Amino acid sequence: MYQLIIIGGGPGGVAAGVYAARKKIKTLLIAEEFGGQSVVSDDIQNWIGTKSISGLELANNLEGHLKAQKDIDLLEGDRVIKIKKLGENHFKVATRDGKEYETERILLVSGSRRRRLDVPGGEEFDGKGVAYCATCDAPLFKNKVVAVVGGGNAGLESVIDLMPYASKIYLLEKNGHLRGDAVTKKKIEESDKVEIRFGVDIQEIVGKQFVSGLKYKDMNSGEDVELKLEGVFVEIGSVPNTDIVKKLVKLNKRDEVVVNHKTMQSSDSGIWSAGDASEVLYKQNNISAGDAIKAVLDIYDQITSQPTE
Amino acid sequence: MTIKMYTTPFCKYCKVAKEFFKTKNISFTEVDITKDDKAMKEMMSKSQQMSVPVFDIDGEILVGFNRTKLEKAIKVA
Repeated sequence: MYQLIIIGGGPGGVAAGVYAARKKIKTLLIAEEFGGQSVVSDDIQNWIGTKSISGLELANNLEGHLKAQKDIDLLEGDRVIKIKKLGENHFKVATRDGKEYETERILLVSGSRRRRLDVPGGEEFDGKGVAYCATCDAPLFKNKVVAVVGGGNAGLESVIDLMPYASKIYLLEKNGHLRGDAVTKKKIEESDKVEIRFGVDIQEIVGKQFVSGLKYKDMNSGEDVELKLEGVFVEIGSVPNTDIVKKLVKLNKRDEVVVNHKTMQSSDSGIWSAGDASEVLYKQNNISAGDAIKAVLDIYDQITSQPTE
Repeated sequence: MTIKMYTTPFCKYCKVAKEFFKTKNISFTEVDITKDDKAMKEMMSKSQQMSVPVFDIDGEILVGFNRTKLEKAIKVA
C-alpha cells in the first residue's frame, strides 16, 4: 500500500514527486509521458531560473530530476483508467496496461487535453480528415475543401494556416459571432476563400476511408445541411483530464477539480489536485509546480499528524 | 536501424521529433512532403492517414509525436 500515488508527469507531477521523495512519503508516480503540454513548445522563456528552454529539454530535465530521487517508485508509459474508493484514505488505482495499486492518498496532476469533436465519425476519422493541428497538416489539404470548427483565436489562426493550401474554407461557429483577434478576423472576412457560418451544430462526420462530408443542423433555420469536404480542423478548446475522479470529488462547470486553495485538497479528504486538472485560474507550468508542492506538503502534514498504524 | 520521417515545414511536432533524435544521436532521413507529391502519397499509403509527422522505423509506422512510443520503437528496432 502506497501512502501517495501521483498521477501525471508534467511540471506539477514531477515537482510533487521530488518533494514526496525528499519527505520519504511512500510514493508511486504514474506518468504516461514527461513534460506535460509544453513538450511541443519551441521556446519557453518563463520557466523561472531558466532564460530559455525548449519543451523537450524541459521534459528531459523534469524526467532527470525525478529519476535522481531514490525514494520514489515510477510507472512510466501507462495511464490510470480507474480509481475505486475502498474506504476513507483507501483507494485502488487501475491502469490501462492492467496494473493495480492501493494507496491512502491521490494527487491528481493529470493536466488537460484538446477537446475532441464528439459526434459520430469524429473519432473514426481522426487523422483521416479530422485534424487538430492546422500548421502541421494544412499542406495535406492542397486544393481541397475544408472546414474549421470553432470561431475563437485558435480557430481563426487555423483558417489563416489553411489559406495558402485549401481551395475553400468553411469557418463553422456554434454561436452568433467570432471571438479572437480583430486583425486576424478582418483578414479572414476579406478572403474570397473563406465562408463563415454561424449557428452551426455539427451532427456527423461522414466518409469511407477518409472524410467526405460534414452534416450539421442550422440552429437558426432548423435545417439539416451537408457540406462536401475532405478536411475538418477542430479548435474547440481543451478539457481537464478528470474523468477518473468525476464520481469521487466535486468538479466545477468546466469539469475541473474544486480544491481548497490553501491546501489543494479536493472535496474528498484523500484526494488532492493541482495544475490544469484543478480549478486554479491560471494554467501555467510554474503555478502547477508550486500548487502541486503545496499539495504534497499538506499531504505530509496529514501523514505526520496521524498516529502510525 | 533506418528512420524515415515525413514532415511539413511549420509542424511543431516534427520540430520536436527532430530535436528528440538529435539529442539521442540517432540519424534519420527527413522528407518534406510539401516539396514532393510522390512522398506525400507514399506517406499516406504507409500511414493510411492525413497527418504528420509520420515515422517509418524499420517498417514500423508511427503517426504523431509521442516520446514514449518513439522510445519504445527505437529500442525494439
